[in-house]
Amino acid sequence: MSLNLDTEDDFYLEENRFKQCCAEFIKHSQQIGDGWEWKSIKDFPDGYMSKTHFQMKNGNAPSIFKDSTKESDEQTLTHVEEALDDSEVAGICATSEVIRYEYHVLYSSSYEVPVLYFRACFLDGRPLTLDEIWEGVHECYRARLLEGPWDTITQQEHPLLGQPFFVLHPCRTNEFMAPVLANSQRENRNINYITSWLSIVGPVVGLKLPLSYAKLVSEQNTKTD
Amino acid sequence: MAEVEKQLPLSPQDGGRSECGEEPPDGGAAVGIAEPAPPSTGSPVTEELAEDTKKKIDVLLKAVGDTPIMKTKKWTVERTRTIQGLVDFIKKFLKLVASEQLFIYVNQSFAPSPDQEVGTLYECFGSDGKLVLHYCKSQAWG
Repeated sequence: MSLNLDTEDDFYLEENRFKQCCAEFIKHSQQIGDGWEWKSIKDFPDGYMSKTHFQMKNGNAPSIFKDSTKESDEQTLTHVEEALDDSEVAGICATSEVIRYEYHVLYSSSYEVPVLYFRACFLDGRPLTLDEIWEGVHECYRARLLEGPWDTITQQEHPLLGQPFFVLHPCRTNEFMAPVLANSQRENRNINYITSWLSIVGPVVGLKLPLSYAKLVSEQNTKTD
Repeated sequence: MAEVEKQLPLSPQDGGRSECGEEPPDGGAAVGIAEPAPPSTGSPVTEELAEDTKKKIDVLLKAVGDTPIMKTKKWTVERTRTIQGLVDFIKKFLKLVASEQLFIYVNQSFAPSPDQEVGTLYECFGSDGKLVLHYCKSQAWG
């Protein structure tokens, strides 16, 4: 499946293509037990991809706004390898230390790109503050965030659920996706837009994609070669 | 993982090797996956430093888009070097400012997470005795 593009610079993601890519992505997720699902909204043609997972917070993590010049190797969050039920998680550690992350991938018709919505709360229901969210942002993205945090992660109403979510702003998505897509087009490789995009934006907000998603692309290319 | 690097953390392959006395691996070999077979013969550089082939892997860096091309493209990297470490290194090498993001891709399309070790990537995506990584700079958000 190749992208249907008008011009070389036009790498926007058309909505049907978005749904196709999500379907492929979810199929692989199911094969490896990565927990992504497609959610439809009753009476709406729209849908989105969703994943929930749990992370543990290690003790008192320093805020990224304190003394950013001090190098801190301390991991503020430890990933829990597998998705756990609420009951399992509560049994393992103190409720206040566990954070439930919810990630949604929606399509933005105005920007013609996917958008990552997310929210996080402790098991007792208390939502994380924006500051606490930023503490979970990987170190290598913090420099950029410190320069303009409001430009990057904002809080908005979820377009389909109407609840407050944090959003990674989509206005520059095309800018960082274009070189990858142009390159793949030049090399005549099929890539999954969602896989590439999520591999880039996910780590910014604590979401990692297992490497097997990348291998999936590779296998597809081998078959078509 | 922000080590203060007084020396280059990577050893260039072009123009002679320098053993940079790098710090020992951070701890923990690559996760779970069996060691690959030793690189095929015919590479005099590799045979010269046979004992290092277990600790280091060969990486070829390729620029994508408008990103400046590194003068030295072939590097030898410790297996435990993370993507983040590599990003920091390339950013310094290309003299990028903090607000510029640098992305590294395997398979020209997938960005491994920042703490992914290159050794693991080599085992999954390496071929012909090396790991090809594409890098691309961007002002990603704003």
